Amino acid sequence: MPRILTRENAIRWAPFLVLLALIVLFSAINPSFLSQRNFARIAIAAAPALMVAVGVTFIIVMGSIDLSMEGVVSLTAVLFCFLMLAFGGTLASGGWIAIPIILVVGAAIGLVNGLVHVRLKIPSFMASLALGFVGTGAAILLTGGDIVKFDDPTFRALLTWRILGFPLMVYVAGLCLVLAWFIQAHTRLGRYFYAVGGGEDLAHASGVRVQQVRMAGFALAGFFYAIAAILQVAKLGQAESVTGSNFMFMSITSVVVGGVALWGGIGGVWNTLVGVLIVAVINNGMVVIGLPDFLQAAVLGLLVIIAVILSTDRRSVAFVK
Amino acid sequence: MSTFIKDYIERETINRRNFLLATAAGMGAMAAPFAFGGGARAAITDPAIAWSYRDRASAYWNSVVSGGETFVESLGKSKDSLISLINEGSSEKSLADIKAFLAKTGGKCAIACDANDSPNARPVVEAVRDAGAYISTIWNKTDDLHPWDIGDNYVSHMTWSDEKPAEQTARILFDAMGGKGGVVHLGGIAANNPAIERLNGLKNALKDFPNIELLDAQPADWDTTKGTELMASFLTRFGDKITGVHCANDNIAYGVIEALRAEGIENMPIVAYDGNPEAVKLVMDGKLLATVFTNPHWGGGITAALAYYAATGAFKPSEEPKEHREFYGPTILISKKDAADFKAKYLDSVPSYNWKDFWGPSNGQIKYK
Repeated sequence: MPRILTRENAIRWAPFLVLLALIVLFSAINPSFLSQRNFARIAIAAAPALMVAVGVTFIIVMGSIDLSMEGVVSLTAVLFCFLMLAFGGTLASGGWIAIPIILVVGAAIGLVNGLVHVRLKIPSFMASLALGFVGTGAAILLTGGDIVKFDDPTFRALLTWRILGFPLMVYVAGLCLVLAWFIQAHTRLGRYFYAVGGGEDLAHASGVRVQQVRMAGFALAGFFYAIAAILQVAKLGQAESVTGSNFMFMSITSVVVGGVALWGGIGGVWNTLVGVLIVAVINNGMVVIGLPDFLQAAVLGLLVIIAVILSTDRRSVAFVK
Repeated sequence: MSTFIKDYIERETINRRNFLLATAAGMGAMAAPFAFGGGARAAITDPAIAWSYRDRASAYWNSVVSGGETFVESLGKSKDSLISLINEGSSEKSLADIKAFLAKTGGKCAIACDANDSPNARPVVEAVRDAGAYISTIWNKTDDLHPWDIGDNYVSHMTWSDEKPAEQTARILFDAMGGKGGVVHLGGIAANNPAIERLNGLKNALKDFPNIELLDAQPADWDTTKGTELMASFLTRFGDKITGVHCANDNIAYGVIEALRAEGIENMPIVAYDGNPEAVKLVMDGKLLATVFTNPHWGGGITAALAYYAATGAFKPSEEPKEHREFYGPTILISKKDAADFKAKYLDSVPSYNWKDFWGPSNGQIKYK
């Protein structure tokens, strides 16, 4: 019989245990935390962030980093609203065309990101950060600093229509997560991400076309950022040049807290799901238990450090940079 | 050599040159009273006009600058003749740009300025005085700096007090709540002055409503997304106890409305601040009880006009009473009954202002605590 309490198992399940511990902690302090309605609220907060985090997971698994999410989400959200309004302002009147267009636009921006990184040999950190600024700048240019309202009731059903107490957007995010898992676990591309992240030279020597894999990874990330933008518009009913704000911290933190290693090759989208839920539960829980606002940022930082300590296997790493 | 280092050396060289020029101009200005027998400097004919401000990406500063442009157009000049000195949130750049502008125009200029942060206002106005130019400021200055202490060259300072209007919106909110129940406040970035004043306004109004409880006040950082998430958490914590919501700005209110819509809650009394076009529409639709407009367009135009007309000698600042040197800008409360009128008057078309009516819409002398 295989042993259950191995070190590997403990580390694999640590993020999930951290999540459970947080839920128990917050529920003990304020029982109303542990209610279906509150879980729905946490899920709404987490759904767009999950899509961003899933996108960046692929990049981090490859051992690279993508910091363009804020600009890409802002730009695609603004473009999405403009397109929707241009196509009649409702889903039914032909506005649905905006959805596939925006997904392609997101992937295209990601591809540009990958091209700049791979072809111009600029570190992914810098290339993506710069492209993110370009995205935010383009969003400012398009909107002139104003808000674009988009309030089609059919589209907003993503937020207002509930199945078993959870809004439709939560199920959409769930389906996209399954799609991401499928890509990760059952496609050649998914396996190549791990090969590149685990050892790029080795992958290259084994015949993996590393440059193409990297570009595909960034395009895939852009695709998921565009999904996040659509969900964010569904959640807020508007887009502006700051729609993507806070996603960088939220997504990178979630990915790491969930147990995906920043040095690549370890973890996957399920880790990311748990990580996003941990961060969303902390954010919600701190207000629900009535923690004073001047303590919240500090507590969030501390909890993140604790979660990373518990959920990453640091013994196997020779050095941390 | 890297462009960064090259630019840096270039900038410092210019700064040094400006410093020397400014010093020379300053000595000239000191000598001037003697030359003219103790009188003020001769008036400047056709001074150059500049607006020094943070950035062009926000609706607020866009509106301020559009006011400045309308003013220069009223002088028969082109829009472009208003020089934008954009400080990008850097006080050092704000001061350096203003000194460069003073040097370039030889002090023959009128400047409207938000000094970016309070301590920066003094070096800015002193540089302007030393160059013999004229300046009017808004928002940022320290409490111990007064135009009348600097002289005619520091024409005026305008700021906005948010405490009273926030108190008025709170009263409207409490009346809508029937004078009882629980209210939550979603604030701006905790350390920002307007955020503090807007919360204080709410607290002032609470004193007259003993049956209303402030359940909690937390920062939502002026942000729509933060607003939705904070409101959702408040709903878990307080549930049906929340019968009214006081928001520090319109953006937060948009988030609150969406958080409530997700729960199927309609008709929650909500008030906001800033008077953005979208918020005014929400007031007209009855989804928002009230918001407050501070007329940045007028503020941008009149600040430039004050500096300009003082420079041309159209009026002499030191002959004006103190409430014309340091004053509050206008605040207009917008509620359902006047929202349509407000929209027609201020939003559908920009009203034309008399840029020589410097103090008409202003709101009394600044009081320090």
